[in-house]
Amino acid sequence: MTFSSLILTTLTFGAMFSVLTLSLNLQYARGGMINFGTVAYFASGAYAYAIFTQDPPSGLDQYAFGLGLPWYVGFLAAGVASLLFALITGWPTLRLRGEYLALTTFAFAEVLHSFLLNERRIGNGSVGLSNVERPDPALIGVNDMLAYAIAAVALMLMTAFFFHRLLNSPFGRTVDAVHDDETAAQAIGKDGARIRLQVFVLSAIPIGFAGALYAMITTLVAPAMFTAELTFFVWIALALGGQKTILGAILGTLALVFFQEAVGAIPFESVRAAQIAASVEEVVTGILFIIVLRWQPWERFSRRTKA
Amino acid sequence: MTLFLQFFLTGIVTGSFLILATIGFSFTRRVEGFLNIAHAELLGVSAFTTWGLNVLLGWHVVAAAIAGIVFTAFLGLAIGRIVYDPIRRLGPSVLLITSVGVAYAIGGTVDALVGTGIRTLDIPLATSYRFAGLRITDYQMIVVAFAVIATGALALFLNKTSMGLAIRAISANPELAASRGIDVKSTSRITWLISSGLAGLAGVMLAVVATLSTDIAFHQILQILAVAILAGLGSLYAVIAAGLIVGVAMDVSVFWIPAGYRPLIAFAVVILVLLFRPEGLAGRKSR
Repeated sequence: MTFSSLILTTLTFGAMFSVLTLSLNLQYARGGMINFGTVAYFASGAYAYAIFTQDPPSGLDQYAFGLGLPWYVGFLAAGVASLLFALITGWPTLRLRGEYLALTTFAFAEVLHSFLLNERRIGNGSVGLSNVERPDPALIGVNDMLAYAIAAVALMLMTAFFFHRLLNSPFGRTVDAVHDDETAAQAIGKDGARIRLQVFVLSAIPIGFAGALYAMITTLVAPAMFTAELTFFVWIALALGGQKTILGAILGTLALVFFQEAVGAIPFESVRAAQIAASVEEVVTGILFIIVLRWQPWERFSRRTKA
Repeated sequence: MTLFLQFFLTGIVTGSFLILATIGFSFTRRVEGFLNIAHAELLGVSAFTTWGLNVLLGWHVVAAAIAGIVFTAFLGLAIGRIVYDPIRRLGPSVLLITSVGVAYAIGGTVDALVGTGIRTLDIPLATSYRFAGLRITDYQMIVVAFAVIATGALALFLNKTSMGLAIRAISANPELAASRGIDVKSTSRITWLISSGLAGLAGVMLAVVATLSTDIAFHQILQILAVAILAGLGSLYAVIAAGLIVGVAMDVSVFWIPAGYRPLIAFAVVILVLLFRPEGLAGRKSR
């Protein structure tokens, strides 16, 4: 892998996962909600996109629906699917706080994963859906990888812009008020649970879009791509970037993806060596995570620059 | 009917293992006040330490198991002192998220040292016994026996010794306990040793009844969480009841629905409990 293609891959996947980190940032840093089931909203977006664009089943296919619609319909459907899933999971759970919310969202993600794995009529079970439709960038004369890198960055920028505007609006101030002191906010007539549900559902939409983009880039959706590891990956990225800022969330994700891609790009002599490198990468990620949470260097740095 | 009872009996064995795996987790939650996601990785550490000593170095399985449990207990203590103690002031959410990082670090280390593949301990094959048409192996009986011994010993320790009293005082009200002269530091150390040691014991049981692969620890955390939530993250007796309920529900469900959904049953239980009775089976209202 050359250096330029490494940068391009980092940009594509980094920007795409940044969308997840941004949403998580909104939910955790501003809404005070710990969502340990992020991957479920991502998966529902990816599967919705695949099901809407896939041709009707034939031959050995076991899935029941393939609507064969154009890609932009699938893309919109991905946002809607993620929104609906957020409504279904958010409505009953958001009255729970802190660690209980973390556990319920985690449980919902596991349930969805198990359904995708076992219920072959959704998406061929563990095999998944392959050859997912995608717009062909060659029509406008751009190279595949470059086009999807641009698409990912565009989605990331739009999400960042949307969240930025949202949080600087009166609605954003209400969110902060509920987060800082729920009783006081309720005293002036703000319904805390309702606000939290709104934040939860709004932040799920871009995750669904990112899922659709992921399906386009990899042209494959399978349960193995959507495990709890992805949720934890996004959490680590969020912690690395330092919480509470949009730029931090993006930089943290890009740094983590670059680190993983760089390790993946090293040529290894044997399978065992590659395996050890993957494990060491996991250990380093975990230790980085612990260190960042313990010393919080970014917050200290920003405090110093302010003073 | 015999088949149904057979599933029920297997469910009790599964439940006993879940009790062993969860009491340490629940104990940490009670005394240290946070959910330690890395607890399940300690099961893996113990299982693979035992495997390494038993198979690679040729130790007798009992010696290997004891060494594995002791090593895991002290590893847990070290992690508690080095990683969790300094950030306790940041609150349970940060501790919970940090424990994910710890789980990564431990899981990756085990992966790097052991590698992929399926492994078993160097022990005789299980002998099957029949009682009124129901089958149970000797290793399954060992799991049930250890679950009974471990919970009984822990209950005696908490209720009959002064250290147990100190631990209960700290879990009820840390500030008050400290102001009454209870040594919080040494109590916390004992807690880490006990809960990690219990994780070690559960890991050894896992190595005895199941085949080992390095992702086995991660699968356990899902079921541990299910049992802990159902128990209400509190009393020891609730953990026993919850472990048996989840174990039996998972194994008996195979009677009606495809076996692939077995783990899903645990989570269906979690979701139902959190929606209708968020304080758990025996917990007080504290949301």
